[in-house]
Amino acid sequence: MLENLVDNIAQESAFRHINPATKLILCLGSLVICLASPSPVVPLISGVVLSIVLIVPARVSPVLYGELLLGPAIFTIISVVVLVFLVGGGDVLWQFNPVPWVNLTITVGSLHEGLLVLCRVFGCSVSLFFIALTTPMTDLFDGMKRIGIPIEIIDLMMIIYRYIFIVYNQAVEIWHAQVMRLGYSRPMEAIRSSAMLCGMLFISSWNAGEDLIHAMDCRCYNGIIPSLEQAEPMQMRSLIPVLLYLAGLSGILLVVITRVVVLS
Amino acid sequence: MNIILEARNIRYRYPQSLEAIKGISFHIRRGEKIALVGPNGAGKSTLLQMFNGMIRPDSGTMLFDKEPIRYDTSSLRQLRKRVGYVLQNPDRQIIAPTVYQDVAFGPANLGYDEQAIQQAVALALRRVGLKGFERRPPHQLSGGEKKRVALAGVLAMDPDMLVFDEPTTGLDPSGSEDVMELLDELNHEGKTVIISTHDVELAYPWADRAILLLDGRILQEGVPDVAFGNPDYVRMAHLSVPTLLEVSQELGRRGFAQPERKPRSVLDMIHIIEHLLNRSCSTSRPGTISVCDVDRGWDTPLATWVSARQNLAVGAMGTSAKQRASQEHLTLDFTYGVIDKCILRALRGQDSLILTNSSMAGRVVTRVEAYCQESGTAISVIPLNTTNQSPK
Repeated sequence: MLENLVDNIAQESAFRHINPATKLILCLGSLVICLASPSPVVPLISGVVLSIVLIVPARVSPVLYGELLLGPAIFTIISVVVLVFLVGGGDVLWQFNPVPWVNLTITVGSLHEGLLVLCRVFGCSVSLFFIALTTPMTDLFDGMKRIGIPIEIIDLMMIIYRYIFIVYNQAVEIWHAQVMRLGYSRPMEAIRSSAMLCGMLFISSWNAGEDLIHAMDCRCYNGIIPSLEQAEPMQMRSLIPVLLYLAGLSGILLVVITRVVVLS
Repeated sequence: MNIILEARNIRYRYPQSLEAIKGISFHIRRGEKIALVGPNGAGKSTLLQMFNGMIRPDSGTMLFDKEPIRYDTSSLRQLRKRVGYVLQNPDRQIIAPTVYQDVAFGPANLGYDEQAIQQAVALALRRVGLKGFERRPPHQLSGGEKKRVALAGVLAMDPDMLVFDEPTTGLDPSGSEDVMELLDELNHEGKTVIISTHDVELAYPWADRAILLLDGRILQEGVPDVAFGNPDYVRMAHLSVPTLLEVSQELGRRGFAQPERKPRSVLDMIHIIEHLLNRSCSTSRPGTISVCDVDRGWDTPLATWVSARQNLAVGAMGTSAKQRASQEHLTLDFTYGVIDKCILRALRGQDSLILTNSSMAGRVVTRVEAYCQESGTAISVIPLNTTNQSPK
């Protein structure tokens, strides 16, 4: 239950009570800086610092955090390996010519490109994990309303968020019922069972939708889904370190860019 | 007779289906506790949904507060504000992503201002004992807590009548007792409560009146010992005779004289048995029942007071009393049917303490006095802090 897990970690995070806008500034700020950097150093620093912040003061379990990072890591490493062979430029470091029409080459340029992509993905993933692991979805809805996202979209998001867990649990239940009766023991059986699962899920979601309208009518629905006001105001105590950190990271970025410009 | 809801020969057929309600007439008085009992498919849920206009009968009239229910949008909104409906599955009733938003749903749609909404939500959550749960997402709550959120969402609209479809399904016995106790408390505050249930043992001592439904018709209607007292009807409705009633009937069949009033609780049964044996098993000096009103101030910490007395049982009535007990780390011996259990203890010569709130404190005295008058014993009820008039 990974979806449930991420939300639970956020609910219990030590940073839960920091104003979400402050956390969003940190997340988006470091995301932009990581993307803008021409060198792997800046995203690497950002990723490491934010990981330490997540594990130490925000008290996210290191094991869980490692498991979560593993997802993007596997995906990125596979992509980077391909990328290293595709991109060229600079001196050739390694060459492999098994048959005349296949030529696998690693150059200084491709290695640098690969490293940059790897570090950028690391830095950006950690920035996003920072917001995901410290701020439950429910805290973001009020902020979205304030920055002017149409209320219809937010209402839909809220209802979808509420139903993710219900539909997911239902899918798990059906899946268990099928596994218990050997529904996935043979390949053909597995295809039939998963088709049945999807069908059942569709029907029950349809019914749940009808019940939802029913439940809303029962409680005098008139087009309003109330919002939960943010309890925590923005505090200097947390905003100042965030701004200082972003300023420091921008400083390093500037130095790196200057060096790149000077070198070229 | 102050009738709040009345059905006059109503009929209803689901589209392309059999007739679900086949001509039902009954009335419900203000402040009554009604249990609608019957097997699956008897039409209980269909009937309940007519109470707040979710289903419109094909023929016949439903009257609320002596006026026929009108089915235009604004009349229905007005009706649904006054008739709170709690669905069987709380996952289907809880709409919003947090507890606060869900409980605020009704008041916000009724057009309350922000302050009134906050007040209504705070009050409703306190009523059901979920203060501090405002920011929790519903998927992290237990089954019992979800039921309470669903109930709070309805209470926030302050309805006159509560309709509760299967209030105890999916709950453990203690959770069921808590919910029934809460319904009792709400009824005591003047709300009419209607539940549908299969659980005869739960409905029998709780309800003022029971309506037995079978196959879209009323099979039997009356006080619980009449409604559940006819074994033929009970069998037809796929139910069972409540144990207490069965014991009493069996005693009657063996030639023991039975009192007019059938036993509704263990206390009543003990009274009957003692009467039959023609001797009292109780001690000559009955124990006492102390009552502590948690809404009023009291200087002595409860835990100290309790630990100073040996062999004392503690019971709590009402949500606020239970919360107070858990705050003070008091182990509660009784949380349901508290007064009766304390009287039983007193008859054995043991003392007990009842924690309760202002609205229910008087009930302890009334109940104990009524019992003493009936049985000729003298159990003293000691109010611990009623002389202290400090407000809550």
